[in-house]
Amino acid sequence: MKNYFPKLSMNKKLALIAFVLGLIAVFAGNPYRGNSVTMDAKELALIIDKQADHVSSEELADWIVQGKSDFKLLDLRTEREFNEYHIPSAELVPMTELNEYPLLRNEKLVLYSEGGIHSAQAWMLLRAKGYKAVYMLFGGLEEWTDKILFPKLAQNATPDQTAAFEKMKEVSKFFGGSPQVGGTAEEISAKKLMPKLEMPSGTSAPTAGKKKKKEGC
Amino acid sequence: MNIPFFKYGLFGDDVSLVIAFIIGIGFGFFLERGGFGNGRKLAAQFYFNDLTVFKVMFTAIITAMVGIYYLSVIGWMDLSLVYVSPTYIVPQTIGGLVLGFGFVIGGYCPGTSCVSAVTGKIDGMVYLLGIVVGIFVFGEIYPLVSNFYNSTPMGQITLSQLFNIPYGILVFAVVLMAIGGFAAAEWAEKKLGNKIVEP
Repeated sequence: MKNYFPKLSMNKKLALIAFVLGLIAVFAGNPYRGNSVTMDAKELALIIDKQADHVSSEELADWIVQGKSDFKLLDLRTEREFNEYHIPSAELVPMTELNEYPLLRNEKLVLYSEGGIHSAQAWMLLRAKGYKAVYMLFGGLEEWTDKILFPKLAQNATPDQTAAFEKMKEVSKFFGGSPQVGGTAEEISAKKLMPKLEMPSGTSAPTAGKKKKKEGC
Repeated sequence: MNIPFFKYGLFGDDVSLVIAFIIGIGFGFFLERGGFGNGRKLAAQFYFNDLTVFKVMFTAIITAMVGIYYLSVIGWMDLSLVYVSPTYIVPQTIGGLVLGFGFVIGGYCPGTSCVSAVTGKIDGMVYLLGIVVGIFVFGEIYPLVSNFYNSTPMGQITLSQLFNIPYGILVFAVVLMAIGGFAAAEWAEKKLGNKIVEP
């Protein structure tokens, strides 16, 4: 037995190794990570500290305007709220259904809720479950409303602010919002009316997944 | 260790292209050195004269499979991050048949035709041209065939999910299949291969 292995031809040695590895595999268990969750607290803390856990509403607006489709936008609110208004291309995933919702671990996921709390909790949940590319919309839908749909320009704005506002105006119009110039905060909020859902025409706003990045050969 | 590196963000898109280039060069180099740039050698497998292609491909499959399996089991790799192309059973069967016919008739598969084209073989270049024309035609008629192209979807399914058997047993089964296949190939080369004289 001792001298058996070296005497074999190279091919037979390799075949034997493959056989043994295959045999061990029968007892070695499932390669997929199951339901057990491991959380690297330090890693998560670092991500949060580096602010790599969120995207700003400007960034997200930019992605949608550009027609990027390499991410999935998930709306964590209720169905009623979703039907009233949602960010174009968003998919409705109420918090309670997050566990069952079919998501790929390598997909870029952007979460948003009304404020920031639900999305932050969902972020934690998904990260712990091993979803690597999860981001939340900073400030939630509230900030989206303020910054994208109804950007304001104060009367005493600096030229820099005005320039930024001019840029934002186009983005805002794209999403069916209405930029506000001057006036006090109260006046502005009174005028707010959420854009109709069909406003950003489906032609330019992509539905996530349709143009999914192809992989494989 | 966090594998796959790209999915874990170890490097970005641009670096991944450089790495893909290097791996591609290496792949092409070893295909060529293995004689895979020669249509006669590739086609010889269909006459059982030379089953190198079968043996190389199956070896690659089980090496990758066993490697990926163990890396995942010991936790160095997240298998769920590895892309599995979705299965569309009818269109893919037909596509496979088309590719198989092309392979038997022309002597190349897409990858090996590139290898043969860059080594200056004219048949390889014609093959490559055919691929480009085929891609173009497919792109142009896509609206007509898209229904068929997307028919009978089965999702991103693996054998272990399809047959509902544990992954490890499947690994063993495929290894056994490969070893059996190698033995059969050696036997076929000796017994059947010599009966047909190469042109």
